[in-house]
Amino acid sequence: MIATKMKTEFAGRRGRLFWLTLKTSLLTLLTLGFYRFWMKTRLRRWYWSAVRPGGQPLEYVGEPIEKLLGFLIAVVILAFYIGVINLLLMFASFSLLNDNLAAYAMSFIGIIPIFFFARYRARRYVLARTRWRGVRFGLDQAAWAYSLRAVGHWLLTILTLGLLYPRQVFYLEKFRTDRTWYGTAQLHQGGNWKMLYPGMWNMLLPGYVSAIVIGSVWMEWSEPNMLRLLFITFPWFVLGLLFFKVRSFRLLTSHKTADGVGLKAEPRSKRVLGIYLLGYGISYFLLTLLILAFIALAVAVWMIYFRGNPDDVGMMLGQFPRWGQTAAIMVLYFTVFILWGVLQHVFVTMPLYRHYAQTLTITNPVALTGIRQRERDESREAGGFAEALDLGAAI
Amino acid sequence: MKPTTISIGRAPAAFDVFADFLDGHAAIVRRVRLTIENDGMANAQLVISPSEGPPVRWPLDELRAVPDQAGGDALILRRADNAVARVILRNKDAITSLRGRCRNLHRRTKVKGRMRLFGWGLGAVGSVALIIFVLIPILANQLATLLPPEGEKALGDTTFEQIRTGLDRSGIAPVRICSNAKGVAALERMRARLTDDMKLPYPVQVHVLDHEMINAFALPGGHVVFFRGLIDEAKTPDEVAAVFAHELGHVVHRDPARITLRSAGSIGVLGLLFGDFAGGSVVLFLTERLVQASYTKEAEAKADAFAHETLIRQKISPIALATMFERLRAKYGDEDGIVAHFTSHPAMIKRIEAAKDAAKRAPQDYEPVLSDTDWAALKAVCRRAQ
Repeated sequence: MIATKMKTEFAGRRGRLFWLTLKTSLLTLLTLGFYRFWMKTRLRRWYWSAVRPGGQPLEYVGEPIEKLLGFLIAVVILAFYIGVINLLLMFASFSLLNDNLAAYAMSFIGIIPIFFFARYRARRYVLARTRWRGVRFGLDQAAWAYSLRAVGHWLLTILTLGLLYPRQVFYLEKFRTDRTWYGTAQLHQGGNWKMLYPGMWNMLLPGYVSAIVIGSVWMEWSEPNMLRLLFITFPWFVLGLLFFKVRSFRLLTSHKTADGVGLKAEPRSKRVLGIYLLGYGISYFLLTLLILAFIALAVAVWMIYFRGNPDDVGMMLGQFPRWGQTAAIMVLYFTVFILWGVLQHVFVTMPLYRHYAQTLTITNPVALTGIRQRERDESREAGGFAEALDLGAAI
Repeated sequence: MKPTTISIGRAPAAFDVFADFLDGHAAIVRRVRLTIENDGMANAQLVISPSEGPPVRWPLDELRAVPDQAGGDALILRRADNAVARVILRNKDAITSLRGRCRNLHRRTKVKGRMRLFGWGLGAVGSVALIIFVLIPILANQLATLLPPEGEKALGDTTFEQIRTGLDRSGIAPVRICSNAKGVAALERMRARLTDDMKLPYPVQVHVLDHEMINAFALPGGHVVFFRGLIDEAKTPDEVAAVFAHELGHVVHRDPARITLRSAGSIGVLGLLFGDFAGGSVVLFLTERLVQASYTKEAEAKADAFAHETLIRQKISPIALATMFERLRAKYGDEDGIVAHFTSHPAMIKRIEAAKDAAKRAPQDYEPVLSDTDWAALKAVCRRAQ
């Protein structure tokens, strides 16, 4: 029997992910950050293998060592930029304006095209190292062209006060999709930019209201207590943005095809919102609990071993040797830092992956049989710019 | 001779199971039958038989498990020298039985072109080193001489705030500037005396930070900063004046502007390299470096010479520099990083000798740099007003 639809399974379990992230985070800390290339690789391998369209897991075949190398290459170029150009900008800014704000602004504007370039290159690397059913994905080389378009679209969006934001989202996605390959099959982004509009108003309306409120208070045209309106408009804006993102993902993905194979995505905005709220809620709760336990332990040690008066806890801290205080603070800081990252993976990133995976279907999978392997893309720089600029998204 | 046929059912160790096979050429999942040839021998092979076409043979020693897989329900196998083909085995008993037979299952597969990777890596590290240790210092030295006084002052003001924030361990507020009025006035009198015949494009500003470090440093734009630790450590006002004069030497020679521009350039690069994995670690490093400002030997010697001349001119004995150095050296040794940059310098003995020489040359009609009342006030400069 030939299936007309192929569902996606998600096979990841929280326990495995918890230990994997905890172990790799500790190693990253112990190696002063250099293990992060191994950490990222191992986490990607895990996440990819959990996503199984039609029961067959994706495979991530990126190597940590190529990430380290790509990072080093990017560092050389960025070191020049950050070291030399920024030094010159800082000098000019202090000489001419007696201030370094201009230097920061210029340096920031200069980095914007590199930012989009880096994002495209990182995507190319990840696709080149992703396989499904033994066949590679790929993305054509077009990072500078993409960067140019992204900057242009952003300018247009800003000039039209956000009205053309859906157009930007659509055309940038189309640019990337139309250059994406699965084996010998080239992907195609169908649909049009106007289909993204309906979800737009819940973002624009609160955005405008917030801007008017802030602007009028700034210019002293209205009372400062008008700012209370932001308590409504700001969360409204954030919700609008989230709903817009999920909705556009749904629409854009469902209009993607490749040699007769189609995709259908049905993630639900409310579910995504629920994952975020619950995930952050649980993470905050557990961390607070941990910190309280730490304090309780310290107090207990004081009471039992030093027979201290509970009122003298402040004094105990004072008597504690300096290095001991520093060490205790460092341990607490890094524990919280690492656990926060681990909890984010377990309670936010993984549930999001699971939801997006389980709501993805492949239509007309029979056309997959005609797809053949593509050449390996060396992609030597391996997303190094994105790594160096810390654009590493969730994983 | 052992027969090559496999007897199903009778021998308990026989391996015969179905699995998925990806040949790495087409996006097709094939159902295959897996058996083992020459089981238990050195040349044992996994035989992958599709329903049509000839079987594929993979030596058991060449089998590798794809690592870090989620779900734990499948074993994904590859051949060490084949990057694309995969066998996906989901039968639990078969997985256990195969694990027992393959010695190299968890050995790492070789990364292609490792030497080339290594070469690139070395080149990258070399270039970054070149940028940090050659390009940025040269550029910073040139720019420091070109920086107009107002710009230098702005740079100094910004850096001073960064250092105060960076030194803070409480995480609440920047390190306090000591402001006891009488103490500040005493220090101000010392400043007036030391700088009265100096021609600087900006006024010298002196501060004491409420911090136990035994140190003092200069910043661009005429800032001289003492730590409380140094004031506590000094036995006479002459010693404070001697250190002050040394720092003024750096100010006059514009050493701080040089080192600040250099750090501004290289810190960003270092932050990039370490990815700021725990946040803020680089800021800490920046602070340490600026405070422990490692000037060149020549810069230190020039600042010392400047200090000797200034002290002699103001009728203060340069011997104070020597006594301060000697006491710190006896107390903390030559290379204790916690102590000030002028004490940790390896050429310390030379510098002590130079100060003693200068003292011999100097006329002996000294005038105390501060009155006893002023000295007591300076010692208490960090005491908070009651």
